[in-house]
Amino acid sequence: MIPVQHGRGGWVSSRSTLARAMAIVGVGLMLAMAGCSSKKPAPMNGENNPNGSQIGENGVGKGGGNSLEDWKNGKFGAQGPLSDIHFAYNEYTIQEQDGSVLKSDASWLQAHPQTRVQVEGHCDERGSEEYNIALGAKRAQAAKDYLVTLGISGSRISTISYGKELPLCTEHDESCWSQNRRDHFAVSE
Amino acid sequence: MKRVIQACALLCAIVLASIPGRAVAQPGGGGPITITIAGPGSQLSTIAVSGLKDLGGDDDHRVGSTFVGTLRRDLELSGYFRIIDPHAYIEDPQASGFELGQFNFADWRSINADFVVKGSVSAGAAGVKLTAFLYDVAQQRRMMGKNYNGDAGDVPRMARRFADAILEAATGQRGPFDSRLALVSTRGGRFKEIYTQSIDGQDLFKLTGNPTINLFPSFDRSANHLLYLSYKSMAPALYLVDLKAQSEVKITSPRGRVIGGTISPDGERIVAAIEREGATNLYLITREGGEIRPLTDTNGINVSPAISLDGATLAFTSDRSGTPQIYVMSLAGGAPKRLTYSGDYNTTPVFSPKGDTLAYQSRSNGRFDIWTIPAGGGEPVQVTDGNGSNEYPSWSPDGRYLAFSSTRGYNSRIYIMMVGNRKIISALTEGNGNDSCPAWSGWLGE
Repeated sequence: MIPVQHGRGGWVSSRSTLARAMAIVGVGLMLAMAGCSSKKPAPMNGENNPNGSQIGENGVGKGGGNSLEDWKNGKFGAQGPLSDIHFAYNEYTIQEQDGSVLKSDASWLQAHPQTRVQVEGHCDERGSEEYNIALGAKRAQAAKDYLVTLGISGSRISTISYGKELPLCTEHDESCWSQNRRDHFAVSE
Repeated sequence: MKRVIQACALLCAIVLASIPGRAVAQPGGGGPITITIAGPGSQLSTIAVSGLKDLGGDDDHRVGSTFVGTLRRDLELSGYFRIIDPHAYIEDPQASGFELGQFNFADWRSINADFVVKGSVSAGAAGVKLTAFLYDVAQQRRMMGKNYNGDAGDVPRMARRFADAILEAATGQRGPFDSRLALVSTRGGRFKEIYTQSIDGQDLFKLTGNPTINLFPSFDRSANHLLYLSYKSMAPALYLVDLKAQSEVKITSPRGRVIGGTISPDGERIVAAIEREGATNLYLITREGGEIRPLTDTNGINVSPAISLDGATLAFTSDRSGTPQIYVMSLAGGAPKRLTYSGDYNTTPVFSPKGDTLAYQSRSNGRFDIWTIPAGGGEPVQVTDGNGSNEYPSWSPDGRYLAFSSTRGYNSRIYIMMVGNRKIISALTEGNGNDSCPAWSGWLGE
């Protein structure tokens, strides 16, 4: 239904087209969009899943799940086996106090070799949307690099940035912003 | 208006023709009359927009009211006019004529109208025929007139084109209202979805319906295509919508993860921001997603691409100096030139239609304001007033206005301002959510 095209230079595109019968542009376009929106999350995995988070289609999300999936499901903000780390404003350097957090996270990952982790970079609300997505990517990569240095295989670690789009806290002050400038670790089998 | 025949698509249904000057003694042998009004800081001109005379088929005045209501709103949004309250109008449009010599200018002079719009409408099975004139009350002369033919659904667009023509007659420069605004909004839920609407707020259209994150809509110049970023596959990717064919293409890259981008004014190319191992760089790609060339190559952040109307120049934000600053470079490649030096957070640049000026957002005291700077380098000018956080500027097609998002009210809204006198004219959006990321298209059908 959604053919995959291989464009020039190896770029991949998938195209969705709309039935001709849909004469009304608005309804038609919305349906076309819905037709290629994300799949339903996989069934819940009860074990080691205290927060009721679900396994997303990317295989991430168990316990302190994937933030976008949890946010969609109204179960946002749960911590899993790995603790969040935090950043200074507009910075992506791992802070000293978070070194011990990452060491403990690395120990857990070493003790659970069957798991994978997706590091999510998040930002506070200040700054432009696009710059913050790039900044969140830097933050996620910084934690990944740190975990790799601690001996975790890079193949077990993926990264994603949500920029400032998924704040834990919505007050407009530093107490809130400092919680939102974070890396979150979504663990999956 | 009982019934219309869908004979043709919107874009080809409106036949626009200038009515040749008649009964108007014009200096210089009938050339266009232009008078400059309401420059920055001067008083607004007053304009009365009379009801249209029904020549048949519009006895409930539905068509006429749609035209007049849309026209009044657009003229208000232009920032050049104060609309005289219709309750003050003396003349009954149905009882008087609308051509020069068929009505009494004294009726309009006595309510202090500088200008008056009069016209007629007929509606039937063959569609709507609409005629409108702009008169200069003091000079008692006709300045401009237009005929429009189309369906009843085309009437708001006839009004926008007439508003644009009034601005051209009165200021020498065509108005910007025959265009579309795209935006991101959380109205109706928690999720950021893409919407489009007319500048005057009509025809709101929800383009995306995926409960994730959708950002950064950008139009090609004629609003045939719209590019946006979505997390609907649970990871960010660009989607290029063909608004006519009602289809879209997902654009991903073997280079890394696509986190932003913009479509070129001609709709043929895209500059994408692609992240790999934490570094985000800009790439020129085709509409189908094929890579043409890398544009930046740093280990840091390069985002917020904007392309000049002639397709030659790129503006973007980079942290290569240590803080986010604005750079410009040729899309053919070469070294970027840094434009902004004041402030420690400058981002979201956009080229004016002429390409000689950039608007962008700059942070001070924890909030952003919109600034402009010559595209070749020079002194930046603050154009918003420090009220709330003012972000994400987008130029009108005529280059006189900026749309931008602002938190000056309770919710974040899209506002329109006149750049020349820094006057914030009105909010362009309403509703219960937060609106952001405005993108103002070029004139439709061009």
